[in-house]
Amino acid sequence: MHPDLEKRVARLLRELPDEPGHPYGFGEYERRARARRRAARPLAAAPALAAMAALVVIAAVLLRFGAQPPAAHGDNAVVAARTTGGDGTGVPTAPGVHAELMEQWLASLPHEPAVVRVGTRAAVMGLEDRIAQVDDLLSAARVERAPPVHLAALRQERTRLVGTLLEVRYAETLADASR
Amino acid sequence: MAVPDEVLAQACAGVATAREAIYAALAPATWRLIRRVVGQRALAEDIFQDTMMTLYERLPQFRREAPLGAWLRRIAISRCLMYLRSPWRRARLLLEPDEPGAGAADTPSTPGYRGEWIDLERALASLPPTARAVVWMYEVEGYTHQEIAREFGRSVSFSKSQLARAHARLRAWFDPHGSRPSCTLI
Repeated sequence: MHPDLEKRVARLLRELPDEPGHPYGFGEYERRARARRRAARPLAAAPALAAMAALVVIAAVLLRFGAQPPAAHGDNAVVAARTTGGDGTGVPTAPGVHAELMEQWLASLPHEPAVVRVGTRAAVMGLEDRIAQVDDLLSAARVERAPPVHLAALRQERTRLVGTLLEVRYAETLADASR
Repeated sequence: MAVPDEVLAQACAGVATAREAIYAALAPATWRLIRRVVGQRALAEDIFQDTMMTLYERLPQFRREAPLGAWLRRIAISRCLMYLRSPWRRARLLLEPDEPGAGAADTPSTPGYRGEWIDLERALASLPPTARAVVWMYEVEGYTHQEIAREFGRSVSFSKSQLARAHARLRAWFDPHGSRPSCTLI
């Protein structure tokens, strides 16, 4: 350690003269504040709109899958067949009938799988945290003049994480646009 | 600079002259702090604007447990760190040169500057933004490692290692021929 030098640097930091003046006066501050509030107004309504859109999607999913009694009966039969080996009546069925029942049920499903929108918040936060960790490692590696191959590996990892984050956010954008 | 209670009360009530008086009293020091921590002028202006807007919005919640200036400094530091933590700033790392902090801070060129201040300005500008913020908070603002860790949402060892790295780099500017210090010693 170099305590004397460190103390000198710390003292110099505290003595460092300030940059004269400040960026702008109160009038300019007020003008910028008004401009920011105007720009932020449409964004303020965004959470409410998103919540409303989520409710609409949930309602649509419930209506689509909740109001089909015949299919529900079919589903029960399949579940029963899968758990008891029979057709839901308690009478064991032949393996061929069992398979046929399952195939019928699969055939009754929509051709395209239903898209259920799950929250991406946890995934996004997790990815952002991991990017932050890599950034810290990158920063430390640069200061310590780590070998270029180490820096390249960290950059590659960062690019991969950012790519994944981009895919998640892009999927969110598409889901929003498709509503 | 102290702000009289009646000015504070008027500012809370939205009186423009009182708000202007608070701005005149506190804006310069707040600006200097933000400028030191984030370096770039344009960015510092954004954070400064955000800080002052937050001050006026939260003024009715100010409980006078500390001077208004100290309260505002905490808001300013918090805004600076929010920027340093944001993924959008991190995304810019890819576009920046390998040299940490290179071009990140435009140093003031005040006439009469002592040679060692110029060296220190350059040394500060060469630090990565996070290390610059940590060294400034610790050495000048008087934050403890625990407080810095809390503000960054990280561990105490994060604060210590950032400070050690910052000091190692600053020492290198003042003692380029000295023995290479270990970054792990604290």
